[in-house]
Amino acid sequence: MRPLLTLALGAVLAATLWAQQFKFNLEHLSSKASHSFDVSLNTSMLQFAAKFLDGKDPDEAKVKKLIVGIEGIYIKSFEFKNEGAYFPADVEKIRNQLKAPEWSRIVGIHNGGEKSNIEVWARNEKGKVTGVAILSSEPRQLTVCNLVGNVDLESLSDLGGHFGLPNIPKGKKK
Amino acid sequence: MIGLTAARQALDFGELMREHRAMVFSVAWHFLHDRDLAEETAQDVFLSLHTHLADIETPAHAGFWLRKVAVQRSIDAARKRSRRPQVALEDVAEPSVRPASGDPMLGGMLRRLIATLPEMPRMAMILRYQEDLDPAEIAETMGIPLGTVKSHIQRSLALLREKLERRGVGER
Amino acid sequence: MDWLEQELAQALARKEPAAGFDGRVRARMHPRPQWLAIAATLLVMMGGGEAWRQYHQYQGYLAKEQVMTAMRIAGSKLNRVQMQLKGTEQ
Repeated sequence: MRPLLTLALGAVLAATLWAQQFKFNLEHLSSKASHSFDVSLNTSMLQFAAKFLDGKDPDEAKVKKLIVGIEGIYIKSFEFKNEGAYFPADVEKIRNQLKAPEWSRIVGIHNGGEKSNIEVWARNEKGKVTGVAILSSEPRQLTVCNLVGNVDLESLSDLGGHFGLPNIPKGKKK
Repeated sequence: MIGLTAARQALDFGELMREHRAMVFSVAWHFLHDRDLAEETAQDVFLSLHTHLADIETPAHAGFWLRKVAVQRSIDAARKRSRRPQVALEDVAEPSVRPASGDPMLGGMLRRLIATLPEMPRMAMILRYQEDLDPAEIAETMGIPLGTVKSHIQRSLALLREKLERRGVGER
Repeated sequence: MDWLEQELAQALARKEPAAGFDGRVRARMHPRPQWLAIAATLLVMMGGGEAWRQYHQYQGYLAKEQVMTAMRIAGSKLNRVQMQLKGTEQ
């Protein structure tokens, strides 16, 4: 009986390693949002998607390399037409979960002019990073991300820069 | 004849998309100031390129063609969308957000100010400062007289300077 | 160029569209209507191998698009933090 119980517990633990590491509890915002993006990708979905990433496309090749260490991606992102669609308490409920001992805040950026706030948290277990949380709040936008696994933050940030920043012109662009 | 055929055969749709997507998207985004609509417009431009690929003679022609269609489609998209009524250049309202400090904020403010300009001056400014075109090239791309282009740019710059000076943002 | 024109050139510098743009254009070039997905599922149930392959491809494309968009969102937030930190350091 005991070996069976251990096996069962081991299976449950293994199955939840890739699971979301904290609750978002933001479903109530979907009806208020003008645009929303909601994704839950576990290990098997990531492995499936990776097969269709084109190694010849520079962007897709970078993502293919990046997701090797990642076991789950969970993101909820909302855009609202007006300010005040979500409350600070919505974000605070998430932040409270990240006050657990295994989480530590790496960096927090607050821009008073744009009333925007971005926090990055890392989950450490036995000296290794096993997850990342990103909380981004603006007056008309809220994004929460949980990346489970060994996340290469620098590469992901560079990827975000490539996607989001303007190309630096080198002379006349004709 | 053989050379022209070879050049046409060398045109790969995927390559053209990779090379020019930033230009096409940016024209639409800076003009429309709406990321989703800009993406949709940029997609429309490349779908149009795919349809007309046989008419494109050289890679340089493709770039010129794409820029012209991006301009046309962006203007069409703005006209379909009834977000902002057209106002005279001098009556353009100032955005409510002011830069707190430093260049990144100024960049955002400039983009917002550009987005509030009337259509034709807005596009002329985008082609001048995003694409680094000279007024004659802008006139050809937009299909408007050279004098009109110069006037749009001069008046837009003067208006931007005036609005920035009012906010205490000036030459460093 | 004076200072304002230089600032304008920077502010209006080109920007890449969201990740997966090429794929989205290609999807519009070859649209897969919903009836095809349903028909493919039915054929799969009736043992249609080719239909399964097409359906599998379509599902793979959707999964790929989700991954690309997710990475764009997370990456752009991290990059913004990085840029802010660099701005502070300067």
